[in-house]
Amino acid sequence: MNKQRYHHIEDKELLNRFYNDRNNEWLGVLLERYTLLLFGVCMKYLKNEENAKDSVQHVFLKVINELHKYKVEYFKSWLYMVTKNHCLMQLRDKGKYSIEINENMVSSVADEDAKKDVLEKEFSLEKMEKAMQQLNEEQQLCVTLFYLEKKSYQEVSSETGYNIMQVKSHIQNGKRNLKIQMQKMQHEQ
Amino acid sequence: MSNDLKNILSNLNPGIEQEKLLQYLNNHLDASEAHEVEKQLNEDPFLNDAMEGLQELKQKSTLPVTLHQLNKNLKKQINSSKKKRAEKISFQQPWIYYTIIILLVLCVIAYVVITRF
Repeated sequence: MNKQRYHHIEDKELLNRFYNDRNNEWLGVLLERYTLLLFGVCMKYLKNEENAKDSVQHVFLKVINELHKYKVEYFKSWLYMVTKNHCLMQLRDKGKYSIEINENMVSSVADEDAKKDVLEKEFSLEKMEKAMQQLNEEQQLCVTLFYLEKKSYQEVSSETGYNIMQVKSHIQNGKRNLKIQMQKMQHEQ
Repeated sequence: MSNDLKNILSNLNPGIEQEKLLQYLNNHLDASEAHEVEKQLNEDPFLNDAMEGLQELKQKSTLPVTLHQLNKNLKKQINSSKKKRAEKISFQQPWIYYTIIILLVLCVIAYVVITRF
């Protein structure tokens, strides 16, 4: 199948086409978009290239066999959940990982809605600045360099002296705290 | 048509995205492009997990080969699932039912013949 031909079609549309005519070719196009991501996620959990490859194929098979049973709204989130689930099950079977599967799994769809929610609400610059001041120094520095001055991790790292992993976690935690602060402020209004 | 236009404008272009990610992994992007990728990493836990996993690979240069292999297998799986489906459909063809009916009729006739004579 010609990959380029379907480039302009969004996931959602492909998913609808699949639900309409149950033609697995649509699924093929859809899944191919995520091969790299699936492999990456499997690598992250399984830490072994061969196992990761096997798992990607298991996930493909699972999606092909089971997607028609559910009415999936956000394909990407669903796929992420299925993949994570599969990897965690594998780890559990090997005894490397004790249960703790459910909690983080269901949240992804809700996350997407919440994200939209936050984005749709208007933020005044002033409020944003106030929230920024609530962050600790490292987070403030990294968030500013990254989001406002648009530097890459590498640049932020060499400017601040933190290593890449630290930069990444400061940015991610900073962003999360920022969001929490903003929600708090909205609540107070 | 207008829908297609909208799709072009939406920044959803997964094919290019995979390519971009590969370039990012190999440090082939300049700082501002890297920043764009990293911004998406922060937005998207799926992408972020994937990137962390891919960064653990010892040999990133073989990644395109792995991808190609996985996609080839995906195609095989899709094709074989289609074949299975085709077989399932063929079971629903009318001659199956005709055969069953004829067999049943034969049974009844046989029964009648045996009990009568």
